[in-house]
Amino acid sequence: MNLPFFGETPVFLPKDQAGDGLLPWVIGVMLFLTGLATAMGLALGQGLDRWSEGLATTLTVQIVDADEGVRARQTEDALKMLRATPGVAKAEVMADADVMALISPWLGDLPIDAGLPVPTLIHVELDKAGVVNTAGLAERLRATAKGARLDDHQAWMASILELVAALRLLLLGIVALIVLSTVAIVIFGCRAGLATHRDSIEIMHMMGAEDSMIASAFDRRYLLHGLVGGLGGIVMAILVILALLHLAEQMGQGLLTASLPGSGVLWWLLLLPVIAGAVTMGTARITVRRALLELV
Amino acid sequence: MISFENVGMRYGMGGEVLSDITFRLERGSFHFLVGPSGAGKTSLLKLLYLARRPSRGLIHFFDKDLARIEREELPRLRRRIGVVFQDFRLLDHLSAFDNVALPLQIKGAKRVQIADHVEELLSWVGLKDRMHARPATLSGGEKQRVAIARAVINKPDLLVADEPTGNVDPEMAMRLMHLFVELNKIGTTIVIASHDQHLVETIGAPVLSLDKGNMTYHAGGKPRDPDETGAQP
Ligand SMILES: Nc1ncnc2c1ncn2[C@@H]1O[C@H](COP(=O)(O)OP(=O)(O)O)[C@@H](O)[C@H]1O
Ligand SMILES: [Mg+2]
Repeated sequence: MNLPFFGETPVFLPKDQAGDGLLPWVIGVMLFLTGLATAMGLALGQGLDRWSEGLATTLTVQIVDADEGVRARQTEDALKMLRATPGVAKAEVMADADVMALISPWLGDLPIDAGLPVPTLIHVELDKAGVVNTAGLAERLRATAKGARLDDHQAWMASILELVAALRLLLLGIVALIVLSTVAIVIFGCRAGLATHRDSIEIMHMMGAEDSMIASAFDRRYLLHGLVGGLGGIVMAILVILALLHLAEQMGQGLLTASLPGSGVLWWLLLLPVIAGAVTMGTARITVRRALLELV
Repeated sequence: MISFENVGMRYGMGGEVLSDITFRLERGSFHFLVGPSGAGKTSLLKLLYLARRPSRGLIHFFDKDLARIEREELPRLRRRIGVVFQDFRLLDHLSAFDNVALPLQIKGAKRVQIADHVEELLSWVGLKDRMHARPATLSGGEKQRVAIARAVINKPDLLVADEPTGNVDPEMAMRLMHLFVELNKIGTTIVIASHDQHLVETIGAPVLSLDKGNMTYHAGGKPRDPDETGAQP
C-alpha cells in the first residue's frame, strides 16, 4: 500500500503485521480511557463556566427574624432599597413554597403552615457580574433591615471551584500517564518489530536504501496502528458517554446531566485518534532511526 | 578505483581477522579472491560493500578517503555496488521478482521499467517460470541465481560476490560466470570470492589470495569468457 503523502517506496516489510498485532488493541484501550478522562475534564470545565456565570449575576438575601411582622417589614425595606440600587435588574421575594422546596431535602416535607419560622429569601438578579460592590451592599442592607444577610455565593463557590480544579488536575494527570504508557508500549512494540525485521532492514540498508526510506515503512505502519486503534477506542468511549447521557436524561437528574459532557464535546474527541496516530508514528520514527544509526 | 593500504579489521574486541591488507582495484578490473575457509574472504568483502569500516589502515573508495566519507553519503555509494551474499539474504516474504526489483525501487525507477528489466534478467538466469515463487520454495541454486540477478540488475560500478557459484552445477556456474564477464565488459569492476580452483583457472583473471588474514597477489590476464560452455541469451 502506498499513501500518496509518503511517496512511492518499496514494500519490504511483510504485509501481515507479525509481531505487533496486539498494538492497535492496546492503543484502542488507552484511547478509550483517554477519551473518557478528556470528556469528563472538558465537561467539568464547561459545566462550571455555565454554572458560575449564573451564580455571579445572582445574589440571595435572607431575612431572618422569628417575628413574622418584623420579617415582613424588613423585607419591604430591603426590597425597596435593593430596587433603588443601580446595577440591580430584579429583586423578588421567593414564594414560600419555593423556599420549602429548597429546604425540604434537610427537613423533610412539611406543610407550609407548620408554624415553622421559614426565612424569607429575596432573589436578586444583577445587570452583569461584578456591577455591584457586594461588601458595601451587605452593610447598607444590614443598616436598612437588621435581619438581612447577603449571600453572594462566594464562599461555597470558592470551595467548589477548588474541588473542580483538583478534579481536572487529576484527570490531566491520568491523561498524561496514559499518553506516557502508550509511548512506552509503542517503543516496545517497535523494538520487537525491528528485531523481527532486522534482516530485511539490514539488506535494504546494504542495498543503499536511505534511513528515511526504511523508517517510512515503519512510519506508515505505526501511523495506521495509531489511527485504527485510536478510532476504535474513541468510538467506544463516545458510545459509552452517549449511553450515560441517555440514562441520565431518563432519570431526569439535572446534576448528573450537568456533569456529563454535552454532545458538542464528543466531536472534539475525534481529534484524539489523529493525535494517537501522530504520537505512534513519531515514536516509531525515532525508535527506527536510532536503531538504523547503529548500522555503519 | 578502490585501494587498500595496510588495512586491518577486527570484530569487536577479538583479534584481527585481516591484517596489513594492501591492494588496488582498477576501474573495470576483474579479480578472484581465494583462500581456505576462515581466511577472511567474507570479512574483506564486507569492507568492499561498505557493511563495515576497517579498524585501521586507509581505504579509498571511488577515489575518496573512506574515513572522510560522512554516513549520509554512504547509501549513494552503496547503490553503485551490487552484492551477492554467501547466504543469499533474500527477503523471504517477497517473490523472486520483487526481490530482484528492490535495487531498482530503491533507486526510484519507474514501475514499468522495473517490470521489463526484472523479467528479462530472470529469464536470462533461467528462472522465468519461478518468477513469482517465494524464496522458501526455491532450491539453493535457484536462490543463488535470484541473488545474482538482484546484484546485477542495477549494472553496478562494483560487483562483489561471495561464493556465487557454490550451489549450482558446473554448467550453470559457467553461465553465471559469463554474466559476470559480460558485466565486466561494460565497465563493472568485479571481485568474486571462490574456492572453485577449476573456475578460477578457466577465467584466468588475477587472484587475490588470503590466508589467516594476510594477502598475496597473483597476476592474471583479461578474464576469458567461458562462452563455449553454452550461454545463449
Ligand atoms: N561476525 C563475526 N564476528 C566475529 N568473528 C567473525 C565474524 N565473522 C567472521 N568472523 C571470524 O573472522 C574470521 C574470518 O571469517 P570470514 O571472513 O567469514 O572467512 P571466510 O569467508 O574466508 O571463510 C574467522 O575466524 C571467523 O570466525
Ligand atoms: Mg565466507
